[in-house]
Amino acid sequence: MKTVVRRLSGHLLRGLAMIWVVTTLSFVIIRNIPGDPVRGQYEKLIEQGMSPDQAERSTAALYGFLPTGSLWDQYTDYLNGLLHGNLGQSLSTPGTGVATLIGSAAKWTILPVLGGTLLSFLLGVTLGVYAAIKRSGKLGDALAISGSLLHGIPQYVIGLLVVAVFSTLWPILPAGGPVDIDFAPGFNGPYIASLIQHATLPVLTYALASYGGWILAMKSSVATVLGDDFIMAAELRGMSRGILFRYIARNAILPLFTILALSLGLLFGGAIFIESIFNYPGLGLLLVNSIGARDYALMGGTFLVLTVAIVVANIAADLLYAVIDPRVRKGAEA
Amino acid sequence: MRRLAAIAAVAVIATATGTACSGVGGSGDAGVYTTIDGAKQIDATAPINPFNPQGNTFLGYDAMSLAWPKNDPVDPNQFYPGIAQSWTTTPDQSEVVVHLQPNAKWSDGKPVTSQDVKTSIGLAYTQGGTAYAVDPKAAGAAADVVVVDPHTVKVTQGANKSNTFLRNVLSTVVVPAHVFGSLLPADFWTQLKLARGSGPAAEKAKASITGLAQKVISFAPAKDVSAGPFVLERVNPGEALLVKNKHFWASDKIAPNRVKVLNYTGNQQIWNYLIAGRLDSAPFTAVPSGVLNRIRQTDGNEVVKGFSPVAVSMAFNQTKAPYDNVHVRKALAYLIDRSQVTKVASPEGGTPSQTTTGIHAEAAKSWLGDSINGLDQYKPDPAKAAQELKAAGMKFQNGRWTMPDGSPWVVELHVPASFSDWVAAAKAITSQLNDHGIQASVLTSADYTLYLDELAAGKYDIGLWLMALGPAPYNIYQRIYGAANGWQLLAGNLTRVPPGKEGNWMGGPETLDGVNPGALTNELNAATPAQQKQIVGTLARLTNQNLPVIQLYDYVNTQFVNDTRFTGWPPNDSDVLRLPAGVWMQLGLIKEQGTR
Repeated sequence: MKTVVRRLSGHLLRGLAMIWVVTTLSFVIIRNIPGDPVRGQYEKLIEQGMSPDQAERSTAALYGFLPTGSLWDQYTDYLNGLLHGNLGQSLSTPGTGVATLIGSAAKWTILPVLGGTLLSFLLGVTLGVYAAIKRSGKLGDALAISGSLLHGIPQYVIGLLVVAVFSTLWPILPAGGPVDIDFAPGFNGPYIASLIQHATLPVLTYALASYGGWILAMKSSVATVLGDDFIMAAELRGMSRGILFRYIARNAILPLFTILALSLGLLFGGAIFIESIFNYPGLGLLLVNSIGARDYALMGGTFLVLTVAIVVANIAADLLYAVIDPRVRKGAEA
Repeated sequence: MRRLAAIAAVAVIATATGTACSGVGGSGDAGVYTTIDGAKQIDATAPINPFNPQGNTFLGYDAMSLAWPKNDPVDPNQFYPGIAQSWTTTPDQSEVVVHLQPNAKWSDGKPVTSQDVKTSIGLAYTQGGTAYAVDPKAAGAAADVVVVDPHTVKVTQGANKSNTFLRNVLSTVVVPAHVFGSLLPADFWTQLKLARGSGPAAEKAKASITGLAQKVISFAPAKDVSAGPFVLERVNPGEALLVKNKHFWASDKIAPNRVKVLNYTGNQQIWNYLIAGRLDSAPFTAVPSGVLNRIRQTDGNEVVKGFSPVAVSMAFNQTKAPYDNVHVRKALAYLIDRSQVTKVASPEGGTPSQTTTGIHAEAAKSWLGDSINGLDQYKPDPAKAAQELKAAGMKFQNGRWTMPDGSPWVVELHVPASFSDWVAAAKAITSQLNDHGIQASVLTSADYTLYLDELAAGKYDIGLWLMALGPAPYNIYQRIYGAANGWQLLAGNLTRVPPGKEGNWMGGPETLDGVNPGALTNELNAATPAQQKQIVGTLARLTNQNLPVIQLYDYVNTQFVNDTRFTGWPPNDSDVLRLPAGVWMQLGLIKEQGTR
């Protein structure tokens, strides 16, 4: 138990240090990005056809939302705010707190990205084992080729293809938006059904785009495990295929588990292309829009959430790795 | 495992079947009008507040102005009634009297009164700008607001008069005083009067008023209270739903029962909506030819075109050689075939500029009349271009034009990467220049904000620039002879900053042919229509002869409508085309298909 507490404390300290370093670096980089957000907004409104007078009226008060003072003052204000749980005020959605915007976007990212990640992981891992076991057969070849193909196609191409097939040629699923406005939000059947309908294509796209990586990694990992002595011993002892499959899968999945944990951390970065194609207002889209609008507070907040998520995922992966792999646990205790 | 897979498969099939039965992607419900808001993307976290630039109010539907500007090419003071039924003004616009719609009511049943207008004006002062600048020296700032009776308001202009005062007053968005009124402190109007004076007390009062800006922008009413034809029912990140306001004074004119405003993350999403036939109307959207053809193939889709007072130009940084030499600028004008550029860049959304005047061709007809024919048309003429280059001392060596000292001359044309039509235009221009022995290349900036920043910092030799922003002539020419060229109007005083300083990236001379174009532009603010015509004529001639910019193409307002569900659309060139469809409905234009 002491070992676990010691490990956890070390991880937490390193994690906090990492978060502070990344926060500081991102703060300095963000504040030095060239571009006047208010002038950008003014010209953008004009470009959209608004008259100069109207554009001036719409943007004049935005100057009040820009950070003032020296960079050091801004930095200390920012850190002080963070320590009090205040991520600041958004410029692109003036008057709205950054935490509110991130919280609102996070739910729309978690559904498709988490769903897609888990779906692709389960599919990729399961089929990866088959692809490795049957690697000299047609099924193994077919699975490996499908993995290579999908791994090679960019996410946005898969997204556009999926939209073309399921929303244009055979229009059975909605192409955009997170939920139909006709249904009152709440825990009711039509609203939930609409959520599922709208999430289906983003989840499918994410799953297809990530599936290739999982299947190829799992196939390679299984192929390595298959050559181990304990597998040969198990085969010689006449163990059933089911038990043998579990032996292989449990050992081969270990390296993928770390990747999965990191993927779950990266989940908070959103899936920019997928969110953009499906008009899914998640964290990736929020980050991209905040950069375009030079919304310093929102950029900083989004980077911070992503950093914390990755650090936490790393710590979780490290701790859980020890739980699922007795060799690591025993090595740490020794 | 198998059982789980079977359950999952059944769930997917059930979802797909259910969706297929209910129909995906069409606004199939009777009475539902589907559109997009061209001015902003939906942000479900934003408040229901028109003072918030991202607010969940939709102009023309649930957000109402006193009046709606007609798309007149030259007169900015032409309006359709909004909450104001009528208005009068003195010839110098020193006083505007607004008469409200007598039957106007908010969606909660309370009447719309002059007090609502006064409160809205008070709130607008906290935001600053145009008619409601707190600084009394600002051109066209209101000095006083008087409630004459429950349906009449008088707004008086300050000492520094502007002929855009009426336009700016009538563009005031009116909010309910019983919802927004508490944002203004009890002594607000006393403070405003104080702020319009001078001295420390005035400065303190100014600060207290502008200090309210963030509070006003952040204000989030619990529900929408609208005086427009619709009221917001709910909003999610993908759509906003507005339902008909039964208290609207002309509800009999409003055909749809509900309006859905769809969100989009980029033009491509709007194209997909249009191709799927989902939108009943869509405001101006840049569309490539191939996509336009697909949109046209969708049942019921039609394209409506009208005047858009915007043009795109190639603007020079005149502090940099050789662009400080008018002969070089003229040579480039003679080498660029604007019709080819437009054909490549914006075949549907632009028309090649007849010549460079600073004004959109449609407006130029009225401002300049036949005198436009007397200006240099800069038709493609390589021989004239060569003459001009020689006059500038440029040399032609080994098939390439070089600088007078024989060093290489590379024309670098900057554009923001996100503007596909500008990138295409720049490529077409550089291709033409290369064909004529001028080494030219296109350089893109990552985004528009960065582009504007670097442009203002004087980092570019040549960049593409929006201009001709009518209809007010001051707005038109301040794009060429305003802050970007060193003339700054602060608190009613015109000052000139040197090239390379404070955003003066064009760096043109202070006088052209003995005329100060910045001062002349500023005069447009207070000039009578006859004087304006004379000034515009002078500025057009100066612009044509000195070419601080080369006008490339004038935008066309290309909009989309679908007559499957609704009909009665504004015709081509209608003066309502740039207004939101909610205003078209108020004017009685849109009817359900089959009811006309």
